[in-house]
Order: sequence, then structure tokens, then C-alpha cells
Amino acid sequence: MQLTDTGESRVNGYLFVLERSLKTFLPGDVVRDAVREIESHLRERIAAASAAPNEREVLEKILAELGPPLRVAQAYSAERTIDEAVATGRFVPMIRAIWHLAISTVVGFFAALGLLVGYLIGVAWVAVAVIKPIFPENAGIQFVHGIPVGPAAQFPVAPGTDLRGGYWVIPLALTVGLGVLVVTQRCARKYLAWWRERRLS
Amino acid sequence: MSHETWQEQLRRGSLDLAILLTVSSGPRYGLAIIQHLEAFTDLVVTEGTIYPILGRLTREGLLDARWVEGEAPHPRKYYRLTPLGAKRLEHMTREWRAFAEKIARLIDAARRDDHAAH
Repeated sequence: MQLTDTGESRVNGYLFVLERSLKTFLPGDVVRDAVREIESHLRERIAAASAAPNEREVLEKILAELGPPLRVAQAYSAERTIDEAVATGRFVPMIRAIWHLAISTVVGFFAALGLLVGYLIGVAWVAVAVIKPIFPENAGIQFVHGIPVGPAAQFPVAPGTDLRGGYWVIPLALTVGLGVLVVTQRCARKYLAWWRERRLS
Repeated sequence: MSHETWQEQLRRGSLDLAILLTVSSGPRYGLAIIQHLEAFTDLVVTEGTIYPILGRLTREGLLDARWVEGEAPHPRKYYRLTPLGAKRLEHMTREWRAFAEKIARLIDAARRDDHAAH
């Protein structure tokens, strides 16, 4: 079947949406290869099809059998991002995989929320260690009613805020911050490995 | 677990084996793999979701992928089984047969018990 301009636009539109969706999760070279392969599939199916009863109907059937572009993109990202994150343990692929699971499943959303809290706590402690030597009066451990509640940095320090700690806060904040980041990262990797196993089982 | 979920898990669990079996006789491109699967099984629900699995099997070193141009009006990506893939296929086939036999024995035993009870 030879496509008319309308049919060609429909195919290009499908590939455009697929490419846009894939770009959200995958690196450029992987996206190009995936779109090329799907286009090859479509062109082959179209070439083998008969235009009867009409082009539109035949084309829609071919596209429906291939699956909606968002579903195909989701299948790609599910296979690719989690594998890459588990295999490499690198920060960016892991964040990409966690984000993908967060927007596609309820469990993934709450897991991502928990991991985000972990990363933020770690970063907050490290930030206090970095700020302390530059602004010694503005960073330290915050106390509420005599109880330490966590690291804090305020510019300016709000009246009534009990910010304590000398320079000894720096090694403490660094140790706690990096410790929390390492633990969170390990939890994230274990969580993704669990997802991968679950998918394969 | 609903019947549909169980069916979906069964389908997913056997797709890797089905794809490896499809390319075991020689290199095939994506659409040819899908058509072969569709001819012998009902494992392909959405054609587009087979390609990410082919990509994963390639990344795992079980398949080797290569673009071929000039053979058709559009380039085709051919997949062939690697030595690692052949070894994995052998293991998977053996395990699948053993598993299927055990389940078949269990079904036969259940039927015998059912007949005996009536």
C-alpha cells in the first residue's frame, strides 16, 4: 500500500509522539535506534497491506496492533531505565528509573517520596557542613525546647531560633550527610533491583 | 490474583524463551520475529512491546543486533542468538520441559483423585 499525504502525516505523527515520549527517559542514541526500528516495522507492515477498504482503516489497524505510542514508550523505558540503573548504579540513570516508576505506579510514587526525603536529609547535612566555615553564625544544629531537631542554616537567623554548634559541626554534618546519602542510594538500588526481579519473575 | 493477572504473568514469563527459540534457527528481524510468534502462539498482545524486550536481551548479551540496509525498501534490524544466548536457551528449554512435566503430573494426579472420589 502506497500512503497518501494524510496517511504519511498519521505515521509521522505516531513516530513524533513516540520519540517525544522516549526522550523523557532514554538517551538520544537509544531513542533514535528505537524510533528507526519502529518506523521500519510500520513501513514493512504498510508495504505488505492492501489499501482496501480504505487507507485510513488499514493504517489505524496497523497502528493499533503496534500499540499506542505512549504504551510502546513505557515498555521501552521500563525495560531500559531499570536495567541501566541496576547495572551501573549511577546517579542519573537511577533518578530516571525512580522517576519512571513514580509516575507509573502507586508503590513507585511512595517509594520515590521516601527516597527523596532520604536524599534531601543527606543534602541538608552536607550543606550545613559546607556553609558552616563561611557563615559560622548562620549554620549549625537547631534546638527546639532544648531538643536537637536537625541541621539548619538561616539568613538572617530568625529571632528565637536556637542554633548551636561550633566548628565540630562540620565533620559531624559531613559524616551524617554522606552516611544518609550512601544509605539512601543503596536503598534506591535495592528497590530498583527488586523491581527488576519482580518484572522478570 | 485474578485470572487475567495470572495469564499476563505466564505470558511475560515465557516471552523471553519464545523469542530466543524464534531466533535459534537463524537471524530474524523484528517484524519476522513477531510474525513467527503470532503464527505459533498468542504471546504477542501489543507488537510494539516486543522491541524493548529484544533490546534487553541484546543488552544482556543473549542476542546480537545488526542493521541491514538495501535488502528491503527500509532498513531492518536483524537479531541472532549469541553463544551465551544459545547456552541460556538450552537451560531455559530444559527447565521449561521439567516444569511443564511436573505440572502435567500434578494435573493428572488431581484428575485421578477426582475420579476416585466420584
